[in-house]
Amino acid sequence: MATPMTDGHRRFLQVLMSHGIMEGSVARTLHRNCCEIHKGCGTKCYNGMSLKSEFIINPWYAVYYAHDKLDDFINVVNIHLQPFFMQIRKGMSEDDGKTYYALVNLAETEITKMASDYTENELELFRKTMDAIIISENGFASSTNILNLADQLKIKKMKKKEAEQVLQNLVQDKWLSERDGEYTLHTRCIMEMEQYILSNYQDLVRKCNICHSLAIQSQVCETCGIGMHLPCAGKYFKAQMEPHCPHCDEFWPHEIPGSKQPILQL
Amino acid sequence: GKEKANELHSEMTVFDLPAFAEDLLTFMGLNRLEGEENDSDDESIAHGFLPNNAWHKLGAEAERYFRRSPSFHYMLGSFKADPPVPRQRIE
Amino acid sequence: TSQVQQNLERFSGTQVDQKVSELVQYLLVKDQKKIPIKRADILKNVIKDYKEVYCEIINRASRTLQQVFGLQLVEIDTKHHIYILVSNLPCLDGENLKQSPVLRRVPWVSDTPIVRCRDDRTAKLGLLTVILSFIYMKGNAAKESDVWEMLKKLQVEPGKRHEVFGNVRELVTVEFVQQKYLEYSRMPNTDLAEFQFQWGLRATKETSKMQILHFVAKVQSKDPTAWTSQYNEAAAAEALSHH
Ligand SMILES: [Zn+2]
Ligand SMILES: [Zn+2]
Repeated sequence: MATPMTDGHRRFLQVLMSHGIMEGSVARTLHRNCCEIHKGCGTKCYNGMSLKSEFIINPWYAVYYAHDKLDDFINVVNIHLQPFFMQIRKGMSEDDGKTYYALVNLAETEITKMASDYTENELELFRKTMDAIIISENGFASSTNILNLADQLKIKKMKKKEAEQVLQNLVQDKWLSERDGEYTLHTRCIMEMEQYILSNYQDLVRKCNICHSLAIQSQVCETCGIGMHLPCAGKYFKAQMEPHCPHCDEFWPHEIPGSKQPILQL
Repeated sequence: GKEKANELHSEMTVFDLPAFAEDLLTFMGLNRLEGEENDSDDESIAHGFLPNNAWHKLGAEAERYFRRSPSFHYMLGSFKADPPVPRQRIE
Repeated sequence: TSQVQQNLERFSGTQVDQKVSELVQYLLVKDQKKIPIKRADILKNVIKDYKEVYCEIINRASRTLQQVFGLQLVEIDTKHHIYILVSNLPCLDGENLKQSPVLRRVPWVSDTPIVRCRDDRTAKLGLLTVILSFIYMKGNAAKESDVWEMLKKLQVEPGKRHEVFGNVRELVTVEFVQQKYLEYSRMPNTDLAEFQFQWGLRATKETSKMQILHFVAKVQSKDPTAWTSQYNEAAAAEALSHH
């Protein structure tokens, strides 16, 4: 018999349904709020101690302790979501390396196809955009390229202005991410679509050599072709004066993310 | 005057629409234009500019008085057909 | 009853389980647009060959929605069998919300800018609430022309494209009506082709006269009891709904 869900779990789930994806520290705050508002959570909320006092005693212990409880709390929810092919997933952002939680759909059925957030035509533009992002070298597709794709839609050509609005909606709904007119897949999208992307773009996608997850944005070794997430590259090369590829030992020719010292030009 | 008299007699407040509208605009953060009130002959348009998020702010307050169900949004499984075959990566 | 029991015995437990799960998924998907869900569509798209055990399936789906999601399946029209989903988690009071910025939906929680947010769902709720307030405070019905006159004071006009709402007339007379937030009908006993607005069935389930009175009171910084007539009506409605 699974641990029963409480109002605390249900409220957490409802907020995540509304937001779609949530940064780790926000999720931890929400968890704490849900437990405090709905006393008597199924899982013991810090054995009755307030998180505040834990912080005073030992900040590091509190953070570790709180992480554990959040993941236990989410596990309870996930067990109950299983029959509906939904899941709260934990993942890392390719941009900032931070932990995020997202509520994702796992099913591809006649029922899931009834979704009405986007029209078939808009979904086709999204898929072409995803294609362009995935086949690009750095994981970004320019808005110019994408707007040109709007002219090639099978169902009905889209005007540029209309396509711009669709792109804006996709960004605001957190399926795409935009920076200086360049688009990539939002963390939420990667967390939900990872398996789909890995199976449909087998020969085109890379996995990070460090964490082995799908890498949309990545730095690639020019010699042997392995790729790394930017945050993972930052961590791996942090202590190295002269960074070398972990696979072929050739000099790593890219700027180390987060590094203070400039790269020596050969 | 008449409303005031009624109020004094029955202690009943009558819903004052213009006041409600003014209070809504204030709540939404209307930036009032100084000195324009007397010049304009159109009384029904608010004299000032609402910030971009005015209605969003009002909506966020309104949410607290509703028991709206959150909706579940997803991309995976929403596509109708097989994906198009992508081009080869340009090396 | 023995008839229900006999029907259930004809289908395997896992088959029924699967139908319950499918129905829950279906209801969640259909709720995206907030258009009420018809039983006929449920039967056609989900139930299919399991019509004999429809009652069992929908009852179990209803219970599951409550236990897992904190959602209540409400039949707003028992004649035409139309359903909506409503949250039945306890509303948070002000003290709780002070401690919970996340639950108060402070804009910084979302990484998208507030300006021109697709979160216009929230902005739309603001507009809707103003209209529902106006209708209630005016005695449960309001002439369409009076509504537009009121909205004009708030810089919203039916003939002009609005930055946030787009086509306002369509939003109010079509979208809100389809969602059953508003009822839009010809005014009785008049030669003129004048329309009026009243609360729709969804509005009566998602909020209440008392809640809307509290909203008005908040905006106007008054005590809800100040509007004696409306307060008494709201209190009476509260008493009725608890029975
Ligand atoms: Zn990695
Ligand atoms: Zn290499």
